[in-house]
Amino acid sequence: MREFLDMGGYAAFVWPAYAVTFGVIVLNIVWAQRLLRRSRAEAQRRLAMRGEAP
Amino acid sequence: MRPGSPASVLPSPGVAAVSAPDMRTASALTAARLALARDLQLAFRRPSQLVQPLAFFAIVTLLFPLAISPELSRLKFVAPGVLWAAALLASLLALEFLFRDDASDGTLEQYALSGQSLTGLMFAKTVAHWLLTGLPLALTAPLAAVSLGAPATAMPGVLLAVAVGTVPLSLIGSIGAALTLGMKRSGALLSLLTLPLSLPVLIFGARATQLAIGGASILAPVELLGALAVLAVTLAPLAAAAAVRISLE
Amino acid sequence: MTWTWFHRLGSPPYVYGLAARLTPWFAWPAALLIAAGLVGGLVLAPPDYQQGDGYRILYVHAPSAWMSLMVYTTMALAAAVGLIWRIKVAHAVAASCAPIGASFTLAALVTGALWGQPMWGTFWQWDPRLTSELILFFLYLGYMGLRAGLEDTQRADRASAVLAVVGVVNVPIIHYSVTWWNSLHQAPSIMRLAKPTMPAVMLVPLLAMLLGFTLLFGALLLVRLRGEVLARERTASWIREAVSA
Repeated sequence: MREFLDMGGYAAFVWPAYAVTFGVIVLNIVWAQRLLRRSRAEAQRRLAMRGEAP
Repeated sequence: MRPGSPASVLPSPGVAAVSAPDMRTASALTAARLALARDLQLAFRRPSQLVQPLAFFAIVTLLFPLAISPELSRLKFVAPGVLWAAALLASLLALEFLFRDDASDGTLEQYALSGQSLTGLMFAKTVAHWLLTGLPLALTAPLAAVSLGAPATAMPGVLLAVAVGTVPLSLIGSIGAALTLGMKRSGALLSLLTLPLSLPVLIFGARATQLAIGGASILAPVELLGALAVLAVTLAPLAAAAAVRISLE
Repeated sequence: MTWTWFHRLGSPPYVYGLAARLTPWFAWPAALLIAAGLVGGLVLAPPDYQQGDGYRILYVHAPSAWMSLMVYTTMALAAAVGLIWRIKVAHAVAASCAPIGASFTLAALVTGALWGQPMWGTFWQWDPRLTSELILFFLYLGYMGLRAGLEDTQRADRASAVLAVVGVVNVPIIHYSVTWWNSLHQAPSIMRLAKPTMPAVMLVPLLAMLLGFTLLFGALLLVRLRGEVLARERTASWIREAVSA
């Protein structure tokens, strides 16, 4: 396990690289879902304003 | 004045619009020639507009000896890069006036509605732009190069490289200018759009200048610049015309 | 027959529903492939004889770089379709691609720099691939900047579509000129992996990651597309049913 985390001495480079990539992945997932949620909320708001709420 | 005659299309003092019927009846070549002549005529009424990019080029070139070292032998190494970076930025500055006046006084709309090929007219405008900015830059560049330590023997090579290289710069720039038509404070965005696409010109141009300074043959990079120019001439006016139509809708 | 399918894809309500149904089919396989790739790349594959365990950054760097190019091409293709056939959904696809592509380009640059430091001794190198990647990042920023700067959605769609198409023509030119420039100025410092052909135990996790990231892009695109389509069709009648679901 120690050796795994140590990455043959390259730990300071390998783990941040993985962290950054997965950070970008998570960011994208969150961002995409947030956009969808916001669009839905906005659409519902507009429908309510027009009195056509579902 | 007969319809289609140059006088009826060129603006008389105080009148800036191109007469639409004249453009409609003219042949494609005539229309292009008229647009070119118009741009040149209008530009010479505002000499400051022509001089500013050159002055900018000169000042940027001046920055580097002051920032680096007055020794010509050291400057010689950075000269190609400095020259082309300055040329690139100066031509970006000059893009401002490619469409600005025509967009504001309605001439661009006239061009779009005239029934003439907008692509051809875009090409004509870009040729005018190159004659007004690229060519003067090409004539000034050898002097700038010498001031940065290049030997006098490099001057013809530098002139050729900048003359050929500024052609795709004007063409690529016309696309960005057309896309950002009418946008306020679009300078930074225009740079962001145009510079990445202009980088191959920078790379080949700087290489040509470097070879010229070293006394070697500049044929290879100049041929590459020429290839870029041909590609740009073929595709850019089309894209610029499409962009103008989109911006005017 | 094929034209019906094509026309249906141009319909925002159809696409909205289809995207919702398709997302799990992309998301779950993506998660599995990436997990498998991680295990394979971090644990199962042996250290490289030259770069030791440092080469394992490849398993995140290569997929990120692949994403940056693939997404840009997809974006340009969707933009072209939208421009030629005037299909709004295609423009929505292009708009959805840009943030995804830009963020993975950034990941590619950062992971490339992190790989560079132990291998080259410096965080940044004007290596042809990193330089081209940086330029690609600016192409994305330009696209997103143009979209953001134009208020009218239709003009933004069409203008950025022209930009995307012009950009995609330039990508090979830029790559070629940067590679040529780089070969003149320095000895080729290509990131070497021990042997030019990778053994299967190293290659398979890489392929898994590449495929997994691609499917992830699909899932992300579908989710973003739904958000985009909804935002653009604010007053359409199908919205009521869609948001009450």
